[in-house]
Amino acid sequence: MTALAPELAQQDLETLVAQVWSTYVLDEGPLPAPPAPWNDASPCWSSAVSVTGAWHGMIAVDLAESAAVALTRAMLAMDDDEEPASEDLVDAVGELANMIGGNVKALVPGPSGLSLPVVGHSPLAAPSELAPTLTLDLTWRGTPLRVRVLTAGSRGESPTAPPQEMLP
Amino acid sequence: MKILIADDSRVMRQIVIRTLRQAGHAGHELIEAENGREAVEKVRSESPDLVLSDWNMPEMTGIDALDTLRASGSTVAFGFVTSEGSDEMRARAAASGAAFLIAKPFTPEAFDEALTGVFASMG
Repeated sequence: MTALAPELAQQDLETLVAQVWSTYVLDEGPLPAPPAPWNDASPCWSSAVSVTGAWHGMIAVDLAESAAVALTRAMLAMDDDEEPASEDLVDAVGELANMIGGNVKALVPGPSGLSLPVVGHSPLAAPSELAPTLTLDLTWRGTPLRVRVLTAGSRGESPTAPPQEMLP
Repeated sequence: MKILIADDSRVMRQIVIRTLRQAGHAGHELIEAENGREAVEKVRSESPDLVLSDWNMPEMTGIDALDTLRASGSTVAFGFVTSEGSDEMRARAAASGAAFLIAKPFTPEAFDEALTGVFASMG
């Protein structure tokens, strides 16, 4: 728990991620403590949603290329040898942030609005006024997976547009 | 029964279809819409018995679609399937005439409970 997101605890975020995995991926969920630190230079997929209103922040998910492919296959019930289309990867990775972000929104003070997800094939840069207040560094299928909650220093600021969509 | 599934995510529409099957509701005719505006159009052109709609969609949100339908006199059964399940959202959905709100991530049991209630009310 941090001073900037007192309504939201690390455990809440871990529980949300575990629920998403147990429901849609039907696989052992991500585990804490990655085998190696996240490397921003690694090929990855990122998605983010913004919450604006009484609470102002962004929820972002970063996952490795192979994890994004595995997640998409699981969500679309595809076989292991099927190659997901690029638009399906964008869709699945975006939906991951949407689900986690929507549940975060329900835990913080409202009223507020939730943006549509933005998806990038590289780490998404956060707006400058937002700072990470909660970070989950996890491992799934041997690759790092990171969930971040970023918040503004004070409430009541004007809404910030989510970062531009970056497609592969 | 004919069920319209409205979600801008194809992945989520597929998950909803799979969950309906897992919940024991495999025999229904399913049609899809990619946003609220398309959902309104398909309610008018396809006359579904039930709409399962995301809340947050481009073009037109799910709640705006529901309000548009009710304002035009449609009484189609309408339920939300959304990542936002706060009390505030549930109250707003109910005030607009939604039968239920299922929060993501959802289970087949949640779908069965919601759909069984709606179908029972249809007689």
